[in-house]
Amino acid sequence: MLTAFRVSKRRVRLATRATRSLSTTANHEESDIVIVGGGPAGLTLASALGSSHAVRDTLKVTLIEAGDLDKVRGWSMQPGKFSNRVSSITNASQAFLQDIGAWDHVGVERTCPIEEMQVWDGISDARIMFSAAEMPSPAGFPQGEMARLTENLNLQRALLRHLASHPTIQLLDKVKLQSISCEEREGGGWPLVHLSDGRVLRARLLVGADGPNSPVRAFSGIQSYGWAYDTHAVVATLDHVPRSPFEPPNTTAYQRFLPTGPIAFLPISATASSLVWSTTPALARRLVASEPAVLADMINAAFRLPEVSMRYLHDRLLEADAPLSASVLRDEIAFRERAHGVDPRSAYAVTVGATTGVPPADADAVPPLVTSIQPGTVASFPLRYNHADAYVGEGAGARTVLVGDAAHTVHPLAGQGLNMGLADVEALARCIHDALSRGGDIGSYTALLPYARERYFENHKIMSAVDKLHKLYAAQSAPVVWARSVGVEVLNELDTLKAAVMMTAGSGRYSSQSAKAVGWDLAASGIENVARGVGAAKSVTDALIGIAGAGVQGLLRQVTSPRRS
Amino acid sequence: MRAVRRDLLTALRRTPSFIHIRSLAHQSRRTLSSATTSQAADTSHSSVNPDEIAHFSRLSSMWWDERGEFGLLHKMNPVRMQFIRDKVLEIMRDDEGELSAERERNVLQGLDVLDVGCGGGLLCESLARQGGNTLGIDASASNITIASLHASSDPALRFSDSGPSASSSSHTKGGQLRYEHTSVEALLAREGPRRFDVVCSMEVLEHVDNPRQFLQHCAELVKPGGHLFLSTISRTPLAYLLTIFAAEHLLRLVTPGTHTYAKYVKPAELLGFFQAYRSPPSPSTSTTLSTPTPSTSAESAADATRPWISRLYGGVPARTEAETRGIVYVPWNGEWTLVPRGAPGKECAEAVNYLFWVRRPRED
Repeated sequence: MLTAFRVSKRRVRLATRATRSLSTTANHEESDIVIVGGGPAGLTLASALGSSHAVRDTLKVTLIEAGDLDKVRGWSMQPGKFSNRVSSITNASQAFLQDIGAWDHVGVERTCPIEEMQVWDGISDARIMFSAAEMPSPAGFPQGEMARLTENLNLQRALLRHLASHPTIQLLDKVKLQSISCEEREGGGWPLVHLSDGRVLRARLLVGADGPNSPVRAFSGIQSYGWAYDTHAVVATLDHVPRSPFEPPNTTAYQRFLPTGPIAFLPISATASSLVWSTTPALARRLVASEPAVLADMINAAFRLPEVSMRYLHDRLLEADAPLSASVLRDEIAFRERAHGVDPRSAYAVTVGATTGVPPADADAVPPLVTSIQPGTVASFPLRYNHADAYVGEGAGARTVLVGDAAHTVHPLAGQGLNMGLADVEALARCIHDALSRGGDIGSYTALLPYARERYFENHKIMSAVDKLHKLYAAQSAPVVWARSVGVEVLNELDTLKAAVMMTAGSGRYSSQSAKAVGWDLAASGIENVARGVGAAKSVTDALIGIAGAGVQGLLRQVTSPRRS
Repeated sequence: MRAVRRDLLTALRRTPSFIHIRSLAHQSRRTLSSATTSQAADTSHSSVNPDEIAHFSRLSSMWWDERGEFGLLHKMNPVRMQFIRDKVLEIMRDDEGELSAERERNVLQGLDVLDVGCGGGLLCESLARQGGNTLGIDASASNITIASLHASSDPALRFSDSGPSASSSSHTKGGQLRYEHTSVEALLAREGPRRFDVVCSMEVLEHVDNPRQFLQHCAELVKPGGHLFLSTISRTPLAYLLTIFAAEHLLRLVTPGTHTYAKYVKPAELLGFFQAYRSPPSPSTSTTLSTPTPSTSAESAADATRPWISRLYGGVPARTEAETRGIVYVPWNGEWTLVPRGAPGKECAEAVNYLFWVRRPRED
């Protein structure tokens, strides 16, 4: 990973202490803003600063990155092949990237719009459907697009291309951050950044865009609060059959909440999609180690088979001494399908694979069948929840500010990590610009305070909602599952989650008024869909609940409509 | 001279965490060099109150602690700068029409700016960053020390502590920045009137002994067509409640004894002062009296002695002559807000802290 400088906190502290004793104020270069980390957040900040005339003319901006940025500049993959690190860029984030002129450099042919999202519970099958058609899209965006799935490298390459037109922004790559020390000076020194090539940068403002193990955060003395989930995420790029002309296009994201963690299917092209499967560390290890055909079938089964059978398959995967072979797994799945009475013509059939002719009626309820895994794309990493206690350093760590993963690490189930980082960057760039226009010192606490105030609570809200969702769906106890199935808990979380998924990131672009109206509207369709899920069991109740659902829905629509007009 | 040095040393000793012994000699030498230029002035501090100076000297080391004693002042700074910037730009647009983007960014570029009672230099640094050739003066030597020390650590400021002549590194955008331990009276005596395009004196008026005289001296330093910016606290029960009772005694945000209620000045009193105030005729006008065109010079002489505010419209001056704007601290946001022009309840908004701007009439 490009952003992470694998330096432990303690090593940074030791290095800091060691250099503090040496007075090295002599040979240093002045730089107004030093950005540590050339990942998406760091590069976006550099781009945003470069696109501002006032900043470009007055401030010297330097970005340092341990990796080789030329590799990112020259990154290319053959059409149809995709990197396994993808992010869904919300409309708000995309609007920001357009504002600074970076989005034009993104290879749009390698991105995919997400128009619909289907989320369902692994145990009760209660389902929520989010459709972009129900939300107002900001000016300049095609109606009905809620986000755009983009490879992180595609975005980073675009940012570097954009930065090429702003040569005043200095990019130093292939240079490691050796240590950060505080300059010895009466009344509070400035941070000195020691680089592996012997250079020392004196920073008016030091920006930590350096990932979860942020050395800048360690220097600033900002504590962070969090825990590791007992969960790893398995990522991979999946090949699948294209949707037939009778089905909606591959623009729907699917997510099923299994008790072991959510599994998500994110479309990146007509025949390829990206997998993010959060599961137990042991299962993740087995899934990564298993042969591609086994993983493909496990994925297909995970979106289709009832939870009890998934639990059985998980156990089979875990207890086998030798890795499970594809044919054995196939037999197991076929047996479970027969036991559950899955119609081989339905979309829920894994083994038969009804891929020709007229598609089954429920085809859009599950993602298309995965046929193969793109080689070299399977990986896994541990998941954490982490939030820094503050975003702006004080005292001995003054003149530091954190953005992106250095400030917060979030569970990927809402796909908000990168969007939160981009929203941070937007707020920080605006904050710097404002301070500059009033003659302020952009490294001062007073100048940076608006940034922290704008972002901290906003991020906290999303992070808590996502964290709560993760825990809620991991629960298997009957009352929780019941509440989940009738949508009580889901509705409670819906507003925040919806806002998180669609529009909160990069806030300030939508009025709170319209956000509220959207929330109500989504609640209305949520009831409808939950009702549909519950009712699938008995047709009589289906009709009854349908009526009730429509009634509530109508009521909600009535409440919202005057507000929206 | 020796007295100044002793004062300075005691002031420095009171700020142990700030000043290392190693740099003490250097620091005192630096400040003395600027103090020598103003030593004559030290004896004639007419509007300067010795108790007030002692009070702020004691607090001088805290100037740049953004979370400490002067935290509220740090937060007020952007709002003051916004007001100065907006007002100067507004008048420039009136005079010159549409402005260049360059001018919009560096409003004070090429202007001579004075900050009277600069304290630790909070406002001065911002003024210099906006392009102003800035001089900060303060009656407390330790304030000047702290201000100089802080400015010298910032490479973007063209800070010089060796008098007005130094001018290097002209490629940097900011204006020159200087500090001097002197009073406004001494400066006026030395430099003469009509020296500065912009004169600021923020949160100072409520600390001086003879506000009338202080205002006169500040006004005289303004060039014709130039700006005078003040900020102070109005003399209302609410102001007492918030700035003295709550801020000093109840919440201890500010050291008790910082403010004296009787010294607060109401906006109407400032407006009244400048309705009556006429600049003394310039020496150049009196010399032109002897030139062969007596009619025009008589006219300009009449212009020069025009009051700064010609009349009030329902208690409000013309936009081009003067303006008062309330600034309100919003605790739940933790920031100061400049009350928008024409907002309802103008009186209430200006009942505590407010900004004041007045323009010296042009003489052309």
